[in-house]
Amino acid sequence: MRNINILLKNKLLSIGALILLVFPLFIESRYIIHATMMVFIFASMAVAWNIIGGYGAQISWGHASFFAIGAYASFLMFLKLNVSPLISIFLGMVLSVILAIIVGYPSFRLRGVYFSLATIAFAEIVKLLLLYFQEFTGGANGLMLPFKGQNPLNLQFNSVVPYYYISFLLMGIIIFLTWKLENSRLGYFLKAIKEDEDAAESLGIKAYQVKLIAFIISAAMMAAIGTIYAFNIAYIDPVGVAHLDLSIKIGAIAIVGGVGTLWGPVIGAFIIVPLTEITNALLGSTRGGASTALYGLVLMVVIIFQPKGVIEFFNGKRKKTKNNSVKASI
Amino acid sequence: MSWLMGQSVINGLLIGGVYALIAVGLTIIFGVMKIVNFAQGEFLMVGMYATWLLFSAIGGSPYLLIIPVAFIMFIFGWLVYKILVNPVVGKGDTSYILLTIGLSFFLQNAAQLIWTADYHTVETSLKGQALQLGGLSILVPRLIAFAVAIILVAIVHLFLKKTDIGRAMRATAENSEVSSMLGINPITTYAIAFAIGTVLAGIAGTLLTPMFYVFPRVGALFTTTAFVVVVLGGLGNITGALLGGLLIGLVEAFTGSFIALDLAPVGTFIVFLLVLLLKPEGLFGGGARKA
Repeated sequence: MRNINILLKNKLLSIGALILLVFPLFIESRYIIHATMMVFIFASMAVAWNIIGGYGAQISWGHASFFAIGAYASFLMFLKLNVSPLISIFLGMVLSVILAIIVGYPSFRLRGVYFSLATIAFAEIVKLLLLYFQEFTGGANGLMLPFKGQNPLNLQFNSVVPYYYISFLLMGIIIFLTWKLENSRLGYFLKAIKEDEDAAESLGIKAYQVKLIAFIISAAMMAAIGTIYAFNIAYIDPVGVAHLDLSIKIGAIAIVGGVGTLWGPVIGAFIIVPLTEITNALLGSTRGGASTALYGLVLMVVIIFQPKGVIEFFNGKRKKTKNNSVKASI
Repeated sequence: MSWLMGQSVINGLLIGGVYALIAVGLTIIFGVMKIVNFAQGEFLMVGMYATWLLFSAIGGSPYLLIIPVAFIMFIFGWLVYKILVNPVVGKGDTSYILLTIGLSFFLQNAAQLIWTADYHTVETSLKGQALQLGGLSILVPRLIAFAVAIILVAIVHLFLKKTDIGRAMRATAENSEVSSMLGINPITTYAIAFAIGTVLAGIAGTLLTPMFYVFPRVGALFTTTAFVVVVLGGLGNITGALLGGLLIGLVEAFTGSFIALDLAPVGTFIVFLLVLLLKPEGLFGGGARKA
């Protein structure tokens, strides 16, 4: 109840949420609704990435693999065994947790860049295995989901609107969980480790354990998002869902928005995803690369000039206006 | 069976030489600056495109293009350092990782934007030629790449040991504060190290053009392998990178021959995770710091 009160107190947040809730009632275009939904999906992924990449300051380039595991696990369960994605979503999460432990355990005991390197290697393995076991995963052709008629249990709908709300809800849940995590013991431990790992360890915080738990939570979230996304798109292939490019995009969104903050990755998604849509529309798809080159460029610019991300401008402005109002009242 | 073994050893060692060259570039940058350059594979790609463009313009043997390509890559590396990397020096591991991966993503897609995703080839008369050695065949372009790579690694080793710049680089690697008190400008040293790393990636690119297609994503094939090699050899350890490169070449060749060709890199990455778990300082000691 207290949580809901906090939500209601924040005017900007509740107005934004309200607008997004009624948005599909006024917009006819399937394209715009779909594009907004992609913003939700990317925002969810960036928030999940941020748990380990931002709060934990451990840059993962393997998050697309967890996304892919969620997507493939639920697809295969549905196609081969006719299991509802609402059940198999948990299978993908469990698989991701196990794999996150396998990757995280050896690399978190080391400091520095080893974790990033291990996640890249892991991502390559997942992609190659998905390509290799063709009879099972469809190889490079990917998997297609046949439409079996509208059925909420199978997450199949005639219209794009239900998915809009499902993605919106998913983003809400992930932001809420991350907010809870930020204000939990684990969140404080992560903050302490990020500030000074030696000091944190000397206080008895097991740094590698804390990082591993954060990574596991983050990976499980990615798998859940993967399932929801895959059932919406109804088609997955290794290059689309398991590629390093996707991981980089997710990381770039979180960093551009504001790494290590709750709302930064959401802001990042609301800026970058429409921006790439616009670039694609302007330049057409005749010459691929423009919109993705943008991710790289924006990432470099932000790292060099404003490593705290776009959210810093909001914070700075708010502080200034506060100061002004204080002066005015005096 | 023994034929397959022998051929795998040859193939593995030959490609391993090229891996070693890319990894030495990576490990020099790490040794001096303590950063892992995630764009190393894209520098290789830039080298391949430079070779292809020069080759299309002048022709001749691609191997003669090593010198102009090296020159271009040096300037390229120097500029990348001055414009992009220098502003984040001292801001921590995360900034480097993000900056260089951003750069790699940008270069890859910029290349696709400029030259499209088409595959290009550089033809030489040596392309299909092979030496026969008791039933085993050695492809000539691979042999040349291997030989040049090994010679370059040796030159780099001598450069670091015998020249003033090399000594300055080692001093900066050891302790940048003390060395700057002794009059070694750390920024220039970093720039030189970064540029040399870039040149080595570019030359590896030139050596690969007669064997591989030139396309925007070609770097990705080598980046991850190069990471594995440098960790295996101990981050910052040049001899380690050489041995690691050869070893990874063998692992890949054997996985390819005896398990499945498509899974060859999987063998490499499993070795990598095992090394992280069991011997994170690298097989040959050296750089890595343990937590």
